[in-house]
Amino acid sequence: MRSPFAYTPRAGPLQAASPAAAVAYLGSLTVVAFLYSNPLVLAATGIAAALAGRLAGADRAVRAAIKLGLAIAVPIVVVNALVVSRGETVLARLGEWPLFGQVDVTAEAIADGCVFGLRAVVVMIAFAVYSACVDPDRVLRALRPIAGRSALTATLISRLVPVAAADAGRLRDAGRLRGPAAAPLGRAALARRLLAGSLDRAVDVASTLELRGYGLDAPRPDCAGCADCAQRSRFDARFYGIGTALLTAAIGAKLLGADAFSAYPTVQVGVATSTLAVSAVVVVAGLGPLARRRRPRRNPARAIRGSEAARA
Amino acid sequence: MPDLATPTRTAPALCIEGLTYRYPNADRSTKPASSPPGGPNVSFALRDVSLTLAAGELALLAGRSACGKSTLLRAACGLVPHFHGGEIEGSVSVAGIDALRAGPGELAAVVGYVAQDPETQVVSTTVAAEIALPLEMRGEPGVSRARAVEEVALALAIPHLLDRTVDTLSGGELQRVALAAALVTRPRLVLLDEPTSQLDPVAGDELIWLLRRLNEEWGVSILLAEHRLERCLAAADRVVAMDSGSVAFDGQPVDFLAWAQDADTALETPGARLFSLAGIEPLPTGVRDARRILASTEAVGGGRAGSPDRARRPVFRPAPLARAAHLEAKNPARGRDPRPSLDAMAADVRDLWVELDAGETARDVLRGIDLRVDRGERVALMGRNGAGKSTLLRTLAGLVEPVRGKVRVSDGMALLTQNPGDYLVRERVGDELPGEQGLAALRVVGLEHALDADPRDLSGGERQRLALAIALAGRMEGDELPGLVALDEPTRGMDRARKQELVELIGGLAGRGAAVVVATHDVEFAAAFAERVVLLGDGVTIADGAAAEILSGGWYFATEVARILDLPGVVTAEQGAAVLEAECL
Repeated sequence: MRSPFAYTPRAGPLQAASPAAAVAYLGSLTVVAFLYSNPLVLAATGIAAALAGRLAGADRAVRAAIKLGLAIAVPIVVVNALVVSRGETVLARLGEWPLFGQVDVTAEAIADGCVFGLRAVVVMIAFAVYSACVDPDRVLRALRPIAGRSALTATLISRLVPVAAADAGRLRDAGRLRGPAAAPLGRAALARRLLAGSLDRAVDVASTLELRGYGLDAPRPDCAGCADCAQRSRFDARFYGIGTALLTAAIGAKLLGADAFSAYPTVQVGVATSTLAVSAVVVVAGLGPLARRRRPRRNPARAIRGSEAARA
Repeated sequence: MPDLATPTRTAPALCIEGLTYRYPNADRSTKPASSPPGGPNVSFALRDVSLTLAAGELALLAGRSACGKSTLLRAACGLVPHFHGGEIEGSVSVAGIDALRAGPGELAAVVGYVAQDPETQVVSTTVAAEIALPLEMRGEPGVSRARAVEEVALALAIPHLLDRTVDTLSGGELQRVALAAALVTRPRLVLLDEPTSQLDPVAGDELIWLLRRLNEEWGVSILLAEHRLERCLAAADRVVAMDSGSVAFDGQPVDFLAWAQDADTALETPGARLFSLAGIEPLPTGVRDARRILASTEAVGGGRAGSPDRARRPVFRPAPLARAAHLEAKNPARGRDPRPSLDAMAADVRDLWVELDAGETARDVLRGIDLRVDRGERVALMGRNGAGKSTLLRTLAGLVEPVRGKVRVSDGMALLTQNPGDYLVRERVGDELPGEQGLAALRVVGLEHALDADPRDLSGGERQRLALAIALAGRMEGDELPGLVALDEPTRGMDRARKQELVELIGGLAGRGAAVVVATHDVEFAAAFAERVVLLGDGVTIADGAAAEILSGGWYFATEVARILDLPGVVTAEQGAAVLEAECL
């Protein structure tokens, strides 16, 4: 079974864009998520990231990211509610707990935890869309001339992670198929076997890289004739533009007070015009990967014949 | 002395002289052929190997498991000694480049290498990037990279795969992609290590003929290591047979068959065995050759000794019929009982539908399968890659949940998956299988003597038997086996001698009352052990019947003997020889 976060080639602006443009676009959404604490703007950023994923055909990745994000967000909310006792609206007094001391669960701490959790979900969605839509080979190709060793490490990891996941799945199956009288597999034995197998796999992949000439100190391709450099996507400008506009709007609105939010002592969510405006801009930015559908061109000769037939 | 990294047009594709090699940390137990008396005892993977491969030659590297074939290929592409280390003597040059001085990266311009397991030889995410990687590493400009990728993709008929990610490809497709990555630099020499071991007969045959076409049209020299010689002997110009790290034979395919007849019958092809049992000469290198010889035999009414062109004329040397009859009696492939008793049912599958996640969408892998297997039956489950064989076995074992249908397995089931190593997680056989029940399982597979051995020290066949014992342990009542024992592709990378051991083990399990179901691509192996063959195609049962009937009624899923003789029910060399001798008499 393929991971929902695995890159899948599709025809679409986000997939066609250069890795730098895609990173600029999705990175701007992530920056907004870290820049703002206002739940309205955060929710708008989440909607924008999910919309971008949907338009780029990465529904599965978005759904999985939401599930994973919620699995992370819920413990954040719970821990924040237990650890932070600030806030005026006490919902429950849980008494003295070892290590925690006096535990009072307040509505404000829960709300603050929700904001942290929401931010985690938004960042998770943006990364899921990146992972499912940006070709890792193009990213590595872009990285190689700048940081060869890092690119090599990234290449090995990007190949070995799915292989190790497949190995782990096979080992788990073999564990289930062991007879009841065979020694139980055990987590330690499984981990040891997986590690040993991964090392073997790493040696195989390293030898393949060696055979492909990875160890050669190859000259950088002449960029004048390089397909990757010469054939930059026509969508790059769009994503750079949206990323820049979004960041400018977000920073400007923040300076104008659009990020009005405070959890303590009582929850106050600012809904100023600037907040609504920046939220709207963020949601519209989610339309970035929208592909313009072209009407198929009609063959003029056939069109004439068609109209003649219609007249007849 | 040629330049270190400059290929020479006139130089042979591969020239090896006096090559002796030992892996680091190898056992110091045996003495190399060239070592002086009284010298150190060292286990050598290659011993005094000399071999020259001319430009445009297609040579087949034959030999039993662990005889040094893979090491020789690694030496020819520079992985030995540059990547693996170890001690080496002699010389290796590829297209005039000294392989012992130049590393694998430099050599990759003139030599391409395709290893046995395609999964470990892809390093990129998409097919196009994988094929382009060697050129990119050489700093080729994008325009020439794009052209080279397009051309090699067209040559290997994979342009439709270029935009796919490698983790969505089948084994056969992945093998072609690995071959494309090896060919994209237009190397003078291509080395392939058992490239068909994971392919179904259709994909395997296609790959061999693709190699022949590349060899003829592009002039690429090819050195191909294979166990299933019947698949590629007809395409080869020459055969090099290895034994214990040394070259034991080097010559024409037809001479190799004559040599194998005397030196190592495990290297005989089924067609050659058919002819040798029937006393016909010369031995055939392939189906076409065999048919031609048989046709001319009929035409001349059998060659006669003393005729001037005796060497080229087919000659009958009838073996005693008793010999063939004896072999026939030993052959376990016999007709099955057409009236199975209800008490003997081992597994029953009705209208089985299984859906698996195939990335973005779900795919029906099994579509309405009906199958009943009785105790004591030996069943071969066959079909092309992706037909649903492994999924069917995994569903029977409870690893996969069906979406529709009923699965009944009475008296338990033991399944051995494709990688026996996955079952071995401890460092002592006795620790894997503790107690009396563990010992009982070891007795079934004949490994009760190896309680204190480290599983890693066992041979490939022994490791497989140990994994089977682990799957059986606790599923037996006393010495009684579970109702169903299933093996998934157990012959990958096995030589014929080890396959014969496995045939005997399967016979033993069936003899003790277990139904044995084996998913396999190996038609010759299926003919050797199975009494019934179930043929799957795209998740549905295409054919289900006696092995002799199924394996003689087609082209791809038919044994070499069946393809030569084209007689219903004749699938093994012994059966074929009996028929030929009867006709002759």
